[in-house]
Amino acid sequence: MESTLKADEKYRKNPDGIISILENVQRKYGYLPKKVLETVANETGSSLVDIYGIATFYKYFSLKPRGEHLISVCLGTACHVRQAPLIVKEFENQLKIRAGETTVDKQFSLETVNCLGACARGPIVVVDGHYFSNVNKAQVSQILKKTRYGLDRIDIKKDERIFPVKLRCTNCNHSLLDPNYLIDDYPSVRLTISFGRKHGWLRLSSLWGSYNNESEYDIPVDTIVNFFCPHCHDELIGASSCPSCNAPMIPMIIYGGGLVQICSRRGCKNHMIDLINGICVNCENRHTCSFIKPEGGVWYCEEYI
Amino acid sequence: MFRVSSIEDLKDLFEIVSRDVDKSRLYIVICAGTACQASGSNDIIRVAKKYILQNQLLDTISLKITGCHGFCEMGPFILTEPQGAFYHKVSTENICRIIDAVIANDYVEELLYTDPQTNEKYYKQSDIPFFKKQQRTIFSMNQEIDPIRIYDYITNGGYKALGKVFSKLSPEQVLEEVKVSGLRGRGGAGFPTGLKWEMLAKQSINSGKYIVCNADEGDPGAYMDRSLLEGNPHIIIEGMIIGAYATGSNEGIVYVRNEYPLAIKHLIIALRQVRDIGLLGENILGSGFSFDIRIVKGAGAFVCGEETALIRSIEGKVGEPRQRPPYPVNKGINGNPTVINNVETWANIVFIINLGASEYAKTGTKGNSGTKIFSLVGKIKNTGLVEVPMGITIKEIVYDIGGGPPGKAKIKAVQTGGPSGGCIPVRKFDLQIDYDSLAKAGSIMGSGGMIVMDENTCMVDVAKYFMNFLKEESCGKCYTCRKGTQRMYEILDDISKGKGTLEHLDLLEELALVVKDTTMCGLGQTASNPVLSTLHYFRDEYERHIIQKRCDAFVCKELVGAPCQAACPVGTEAWRYVAHIARGEYEQAYIAIREANPFPSVCARVCDHQCEEHCRAGTSGGDPVAIRLLKRFITDRIDPSRYKPKRTTVIKKDAPQVAVIGAGPAGLTSAHYLSLKGYKVTIFEAEDKPGGMLFCAIPSYRLPRETIKKEIVSLLDENITLKCNTALGNDITIDQLFNEGYKAVMLAMGAHKSRPLGLENEDADGVYPSIEFLKAFNLRNEQLAKGRVGIIGGGNSAIDAARTALRQKDVISVTILYRRTREEMPAFAEEIEAADQEGIKIQTLVTPTKVITTNDFFSGLECINNELGDTDSSGRRRPIPIKGTEHFIKLDTLIVAISEDSGIDCIGPARSSKIEVTDWNTVKIDQNTLLTSRPGVFAAGDVVTGPNTVIQAIAAGKKAAEMIDHYIKGEKMDQPKKHILPQIYVEPFVVELEDAWQAERIETPRKSIEKRKRNFAEVEVTISDEEARREAQRCLRCDLEFTQPQYIEKECITTEGK
Repeated sequence: MESTLKADEKYRKNPDGIISILENVQRKYGYLPKKVLETVANETGSSLVDIYGIATFYKYFSLKPRGEHLISVCLGTACHVRQAPLIVKEFENQLKIRAGETTVDKQFSLETVNCLGACARGPIVVVDGHYFSNVNKAQVSQILKKTRYGLDRIDIKKDERIFPVKLRCTNCNHSLLDPNYLIDDYPSVRLTISFGRKHGWLRLSSLWGSYNNESEYDIPVDTIVNFFCPHCHDELIGASSCPSCNAPMIPMIIYGGGLVQICSRRGCKNHMIDLINGICVNCENRHTCSFIKPEGGVWYCEEYI
Repeated sequence: MFRVSSIEDLKDLFEIVSRDVDKSRLYIVICAGTACQASGSNDIIRVAKKYILQNQLLDTISLKITGCHGFCEMGPFILTEPQGAFYHKVSTENICRIIDAVIANDYVEELLYTDPQTNEKYYKQSDIPFFKKQQRTIFSMNQEIDPIRIYDYITNGGYKALGKVFSKLSPEQVLEEVKVSGLRGRGGAGFPTGLKWEMLAKQSINSGKYIVCNADEGDPGAYMDRSLLEGNPHIIIEGMIIGAYATGSNEGIVYVRNEYPLAIKHLIIALRQVRDIGLLGENILGSGFSFDIRIVKGAGAFVCGEETALIRSIEGKVGEPRQRPPYPVNKGINGNPTVINNVETWANIVFIINLGASEYAKTGTKGNSGTKIFSLVGKIKNTGLVEVPMGITIKEIVYDIGGGPPGKAKIKAVQTGGPSGGCIPVRKFDLQIDYDSLAKAGSIMGSGGMIVMDENTCMVDVAKYFMNFLKEESCGKCYTCRKGTQRMYEILDDISKGKGTLEHLDLLEELALVVKDTTMCGLGQTASNPVLSTLHYFRDEYERHIIQKRCDAFVCKELVGAPCQAACPVGTEAWRYVAHIARGEYEQAYIAIREANPFPSVCARVCDHQCEEHCRAGTSGGDPVAIRLLKRFITDRIDPSRYKPKRTTVIKKDAPQVAVIGAGPAGLTSAHYLSLKGYKVTIFEAEDKPGGMLFCAIPSYRLPRETIKKEIVSLLDENITLKCNTALGNDITIDQLFNEGYKAVMLAMGAHKSRPLGLENEDADGVYPSIEFLKAFNLRNEQLAKGRVGIIGGGNSAIDAARTALRQKDVISVTILYRRTREEMPAFAEEIEAADQEGIKIQTLVTPTKVITTNDFFSGLECINNELGDTDSSGRRRPIPIKGTEHFIKLDTLIVAISEDSGIDCIGPARSSKIEVTDWNTVKIDQNTLLTSRPGVFAAGDVVTGPNTVIQAIAAGKKAAEMIDHYIKGEKMDQPKKHILPQIYVEPFVVELEDAWQAERIETPRKSIEKRKRNFAEVEVTISDEEARREAQRCLRCDLEFTQPQYIEKECITTEGK
């Protein structure tokens, strides 16, 4: 609870920050717990009535806990005329709850939203940030099945989107792969990390698309970690920061060209692969230049969602 | 870091950037807008990267990941540069082939966009009609740039306008430019932007002025602001910097919806880049002018799109609107002067500066300059974002760019302006789109949502939908808005459930006007538009719901129940027998069919299956269940004699007598049901056997004679006397029948006369009306067709005549001539396909102009070619003759199959017996009672409607029996319409998920062409047990909602958000 507010210190005395604070609370807990709202009221000096006023006025906020998976069915006009209400009904029947409710086992919450802005592909259903388009009644059970299985879960062996990348240090050009330590049956990427007073090794899967990693330490979620090359011991740090959480992005060169960047915050899944064709990789200013020629920029946003 | 701190720096930057542009470099442009992501573009991007890396193609080809291109229906798609080829619906399997093709400067032919109508292949994106007919000024940039690379934006001329402003123009000059351009606010109200800016500039305080970009795109069905922010955030930023410079404000805010995470992300990145370069922040380009932009996220409240509510939301308060004046430009955020403009308005600024105001104003119409982006969605073929000049007509957008309806259902209306707008009916599609004309038509421009609605959209439901939305979103400050929208919703809900009365409509109108007049903000003032516009243009639909208890769009579920059942003229519980088939209970399935329909085997072959047209499996984006084929499966297994109908009355000797004229489906049906009710019935038939049109018109390859006979025999019982070779007029008269003691007479003679072409020489030898031709063959086995046969018409009668002709012995070839295109032929698609397979030529877009004869014998036709012109009121494009294309077609036989009417020979005697006839030569009846103008005489079937389907005749016969019963018993005939909902619970068959998933509709099996072409053996064959059960398991079981025990108690709420 305390930590939520500390992160928003700058908003404390500023009344227009209340919505932002509540947004952060909502994101963190999935709803607005009463105790946290009381803390917010104390810390910001606003009355609890005003805070509840805001919390109940805006649709984004929920005062009730939500289930593990949030299913949002779009009921925008375009989806409506393409029979989205039938989709809602089907979810209601299958989950045995109504829209706005959560299943008893706290697995699913079902909500309807006014418009998700992908009208051309309606009816649209979004489950935990994953979009399903042109949904029909028969697909509903399939969506639930996939969600139960895990939407992010990928079969590393079979998935065609998965491929190994050979990574090198941006400073000394040494390979970062460790053929003696396998993760996902491929040589792992060996890095040195430090956070707090801890200093040690971290090994990442070299498969692009796999989040598997192992480390000497349990890194607490939300910690920003410093990364170093195990060969030259230089810090791996680029010019850009993560668009989601603002932590620095860690660059590594791909053998053959291109750049991989991963977010340095534990728990943030942002990572990018940037296929630049050589010039910038060899440039000595690449750490500081914010738009490099001819491809420009170090941004190549892979994970858009 | 390259930081620009003066105009010279900026020029240097442009210089460096332009030097590196390599126009010959190969690019794969992948759209990653939200819509394309929803259809899988992220996976394609990954696979493309994998392929490029693994094959070391980094130096050869580059990827460009962009925002939305607009053609979202076809996503995910790929554009190649510099080729300009456009691949649609790309999958991870074929992306690599496209990469290879680009490198080889080649095309992957089968993946190129192909027009579904003309089958034309397009090699360049710019040639595709969807793109070609637009004027994409603002939107075209989206496909050029990666939104997270400022560099891309600059190479495409980005920040040039900014440079021009800071180096050459004073703030006053910028204001003047924007004023001269005539730009009006794109958020919907259309206030002149230049004027608004000038008012802000005139505010005397020197600091603390705000400019705001309103990206709270709350209109459901509109997403152009989202696509602009996602795909080109820099253009908004540049516009805002220019606006700030012109008005002297130092703080900018982008208020964006929380539902748009990608837009927020790209905006954050873009703002960071602009700040790094030095175009935002302190002392921009050394001018001494400072400005920065921050993002405020909306937390999901539609009313926050209203400017005063938006300001309160930015201030961190509850977003309730307040009274104006004072206007935000005087007192806005925290009491400071504020200008709020829509995303698209800001995007236009850059073009005004770059082009010059007067050049910009050349686009569009006077008073409505520039282009406007619309989101064209709903029931339309090419959904997506379209950018068009102001003043274009709705028709051009819907039919030329949008490509018309996606299926057979006709377009009915477009809805513009979201919940504040209204519906514009198809007859008004010539309307020019601009702020003023839309307002006059009862709608508004709004932010540009354009939702196309077709016959499967219920207007009462649309109004109810918007009212539900508005009652949820009304902030509650004004009483009339809060309560008015709630009450309007309740009334509409009642109407949609069949509980409405005609007084409700007046009340609704009154309420709507009060809400309009007595509310404070834009939301309330326009909240009545959806109700008022639908009431104005679609009052008949409301009345159908109230009086007939029918929802013709099959949407209002309390009136419809299961659509298949509601669509069937005799109310067959299609869901019920399909459910039984899925469970393997075939006898029960037969009972379900037979209970409603005395001609199951006939209908299993020739019914126009309205049940399938309205099947939810089909209308919700898949293929309908093959209900007719399933019926065929059942009727082939179960003999009609197995079913013993329930008699309501025991047969008495002195039972009242009823005379039925005509032993066609209508006559036989009414006789059957009258017999069940205990009447003595005599059927008088003019031909020598019963069956009517089933025998005369429908060829035996579609409907075997044995099938008809068996079914008729099962209907005739000891209550029914059949007198063949007895024609009304010649052998009997109506007066005579009444004199003989018949209590009622029912006319069901059918429509036996073909309409003429209206050309000279039409009565020459060798020219036959289709009915005459078919009758001659079916009843007397006369083969009238010889040599080269031409058929005029596109209906089922034309196809029947053509396929019958083909099977006659002296025929060389058969050609069907139709004036429109094949898509518009009214015949069943499967019949047309079968004719085509058998080798019948179908020549479309031709009209006969002259019948040529040699020695009084028909010898050929002069025809003229047509082209498709304007769309007519039915949504079809008119055939227009092309001058100079007259040509001669040599033929030996001509069959005219345009349409049929009942003809003088049948009606003549009726007329003399005081029975009124319509202008179309059909019998005039009271639609509710089926009574003709003479008491005791009823009429049903084709004799009333003109040529119609078998099932309509059966339904009419069934209804006639009921009415005759009421009449004879002296009961009230005009009884209120009941609507029947599914009642019998059939336990659903549990299907393994994987099996049901995307199971496709079974195709109608036919005999091979060689085996059927020249004989009259039945063409369609039946399906196997396994096939039938699988097909039946595709049913979505719409009935369960009404029949399943656990759902009956629970009235599910669909749209109550939280």
